Amino acid sequence: MSSAEFENIATLEDEFTESPEVTPERQVEMSAHDISIWFNKRKVLEGVNIEFPKRTVTALIGPSGCGKSTFLRTLNRLHELIPGAALAGEIRYEGKDIYAPEVDPVLIRLAIGMVFQKPNPFPSMTIRGNVLAGLKLSGMKRPNHDDIVEETLTAAGLWTEVKDRLNHEAGSLSGGQQQRLVIARALAVNPHVLLMDEPCSALDPASTLKVEETIRQLSKDITIIIVTHNMQQAVRVADYTAFFLAAEGEPGHIVEQGPTTDIFGNPQDQRTLDYVNGRFG
Amino acid sequence: MVQTAPPEVRDLSSSVSSHKGDRVFNRVITGAAFTALIVLAGITVFLGAQTVPVLHSQGLSFLTTTVWNPTATPAQYGILGMLYGSLLLAVIALVIAVPASLLLSVFMVFMAPKKVATVMTNVVDLMAAIPSVILGLWAFYVLNPAAVEWQKLLNQYLGWFPLFKNDSGNFLGTPFIAGFVLAVMMIPIVTSVTREVLGRTPPELINASEALGCSMWTMLRYVAIPFGRGGIVGGIMLGLGRALGETIAVFFVLKLVFNINFFHIIQSGGGSVATLIVSQFGESSGNPETQALLAAGFFLFAGTLLVNILANLIVRRTGRIQS
Amino acid sequence: MTTTLFDNSRVSELRLQQAALPWRRRTANFRVAVAIAVIVPPVIVGLLWFLTSIPKPILMLVIYLPLQLIASAIAAWSQRGTKAVLDSAIIVCAIGATIFSFVILISVLWSIVSNGVHALSWAFLFQNNVYISPSTPLGYGGVGNAILGTIMVVVIASLFAVPLGIATAVYITEVRGKAVPYVRFLVQAMSGVPSVVAGLFILTVFILTGVLQSSGFAAGLAYAILMLPTVARTAEEVLKLIPDDLRTGALALGSTRARVVMKVVLPAAKTGLITAAILGIARVVGETAPLLLTALSNDQTVLNPFNQPITALPAYIFSNVAQPYPDAVTRAWGAALVLVILVAILFTITRVLTAKRVRR
Repeated sequence: MSSAEFENIATLEDEFTESPEVTPERQVEMSAHDISIWFNKRKVLEGVNIEFPKRTVTALIGPSGCGKSTFLRTLNRLHELIPGAALAGEIRYEGKDIYAPEVDPVLIRLAIGMVFQKPNPFPSMTIRGNVLAGLKLSGMKRPNHDDIVEETLTAAGLWTEVKDRLNHEAGSLSGGQQQRLVIARALAVNPHVLLMDEPCSALDPASTLKVEETIRQLSKDITIIIVTHNMQQAVRVADYTAFFLAAEGEPGHIVEQGPTTDIFGNPQDQRTLDYVNGRFG
Repeated sequence: MVQTAPPEVRDLSSSVSSHKGDRVFNRVITGAAFTALIVLAGITVFLGAQTVPVLHSQGLSFLTTTVWNPTATPAQYGILGMLYGSLLLAVIALVIAVPASLLLSVFMVFMAPKKVATVMTNVVDLMAAIPSVILGLWAFYVLNPAAVEWQKLLNQYLGWFPLFKNDSGNFLGTPFIAGFVLAVMMIPIVTSVTREVLGRTPPELINASEALGCSMWTMLRYVAIPFGRGGIVGGIMLGLGRALGETIAVFFVLKLVFNINFFHIIQSGGGSVATLIVSQFGESSGNPETQALLAAGFFLFAGTLLVNILANLIVRRTGRIQS
Repeated sequence: MTTTLFDNSRVSELRLQQAALPWRRRTANFRVAVAIAVIVPPVIVGLLWFLTSIPKPILMLVIYLPLQLIASAIAAWSQRGTKAVLDSAIIVCAIGATIFSFVILISVLWSIVSNGVHALSWAFLFQNNVYISPSTPLGYGGVGNAILGTIMVVVIASLFAVPLGIATAVYITEVRGKAVPYVRFLVQAMSGVPSVVAGLFILTVFILTGVLQSSGFAAGLAYAILMLPTVARTAEEVLKLIPDDLRTGALALGSTRARVVMKVVLPAAKTGLITAAILGIARVVGETAPLLLTALSNDQTVLNPFNQPITALPAYIFSNVAQPYPDAVTRAWGAALVLVILVAILFTITRVLTAKRVRR
């Protein structure tokens, strides 16, 4: 690890001293350095610097259109699927730039999984097939498929509900169950980071609570970065929070970041205070 | 944090297929996607190559004369009558099919109750699905006797008009009957395109014109038809392309004569390039005549391709304006 | 220029107009007028039909149509004013065009069924045509060899057209290369190739050069040319319906593009792709001209697609039409009936598949 990164962590630690969860041993899993993002000629995000410590949950909040979902998609190189996408700066995973020319985006996406706003189980596969889809699609070899299915479905909090109908079509599940199924699917390839793009926005309150519980459980083993519009959700699940904002016609940027308790309890910026109190956005 | 020089901008869209397996996959798929190009180029090259010796031996008279005599020395091949005949049949078919198709689609889109419209859509699809050889069979045995009656009446009452003159008294194998069969083939093609185009008229515009107290006629005249004009013209040309290339249905009901029948549409005898090929192929006296037929096929291909490309360009341009 | 916006007389005139145009409101008066317009002309023409000897086409076209137009125009005018007169003409003509197409369709279908049914027998369906001449009575010989021939030619065509057509659609919707507009354009241009030209092309390239004989395989190649655009365009529509969520979802699992297509997109579009293939088959199954040029005909049952001429259903019909022997003609109708049933089955399958997909 380079000395610059050590400095960064040191800075973080200074900032985070009030948080009881932060301990000096915490390592940075992913980090963004001076990230700016374009769609064709339009700049949508500017100068984003943020670090995601290992085995924590970071929430990205902010009003619609401030670029937080786009930012999330740059973290596992899905952003580049959109024609005309461009990027400046570096995204580092395990200290290495994931946009370096020699890096295979497919392997990046294998290590950094993602769960989307709308549950998207593969309709042509069974529940079991969906869980194992990642292995099939990435060509990854892992033994004991039955164990993987049970393990990941349990981790996603779905095992007891579906264990008797693993060979049914995934479309037969409810929306909340489908969302937990795709979480299980993302876990089956053993990712180190899980990106979640408003994973609960299409779900009812009961399913939302279940998914949140799943997120808390998962954060014991992996790093989670979640985009959410739901402030209570950020408070409930996230260790750290970053507040994104875009002024009219300008690219978005991070206004404030830090431990969730600080952002919500003692925000330094007036705009953050307004936003977390529901005064705009 | 210390601000250094702004980081370099990286264009990402080019890195999409950087994975090796994907590059192979992309290459295979791209290759397959160009089958259409290979086939079209192949037709142009191979039939074009057959055209060269024919044009060499016949000169331009291949396109400007009406004599087809393989046994003469030297053999004579002229397809002007056929080219003209193809156009005449297409015009007759258009005159019948275009109003019918437009009325059908207007009725389906703007007037008919939904259930009736669904039934009619199925009727049109069914018509489109009937193979042309079956239409030819039907035309030969069912349409022919009826059409002869119609033509006799036309001749009886309107015979003074050159279009409806018939000197021979033979009302079978006329351009009118062949054009009518082509119209039956065209109606479903044109209708399905115009129906779709008219159906895309923005409902706001229709509602607005209704709110202004417009009648159906004014709505069509000033809203729907101008809006879909390109698509309608394109649909008609797609049907025209099909009519020019149709072989078998015409084969049964048209008496093929090499002399030009200019406009006596209810008089026996007419021409069609596509039908010429099939009718002469079976008894073609060997290589030179077959080659002449292939050359005729080349001109048929060139003509239909041109019509089809124009049609698609027109349809596409409307599509772009709409979206 | 000054315009008087609130001219009183103009306003009252507008009011009157509005009263005269009760949109979508159907009064008893209106119904009576429509009923009279619908009933009177047919009754008059019906009487003329039975009582006079005016030729029927003249009666319908020269007497009935104008009469109906006038009656509807009067009814429309009396109820809704002059504006509605043209509308009534459109409605009459549109209904006329509808009836015209209906009559033709029913005439075609009825002639096939009523004439073809006489030829149908087990022998007709399963026997081939060896030792059968046009004058042989019904009950001997049939379309067995032609049905086999059609199946063989269509299967060969599908082997080429279905993979290539789907690959073309995949190029347009999944690979999204730079040439997409050109590929689309070429596919559309290809869909306009006349069937006789497709036959001539295969004839020149393979048969005249001696590479292939006139055979089922050659005919299959010609059919494939006609089939590919239909398959490609339908498959493109189908693949467009697959939500992008699935593609990104699969990519986010660390899948390559190729695996996304092969293991997620194509399986998800399975029924739609089958529909595309069947529509392609239905498009070509009745084509005759390519068969006459590339497969010729054969009374024998042929199982080898390479070494000899072969008869398929359209060619069988073609060779029996316009024969001076009634039994041969009946055979043609019988074969037409078999062909129409085949097409109907294909279309029913696509409708069932499509309905299933919509329900899901």
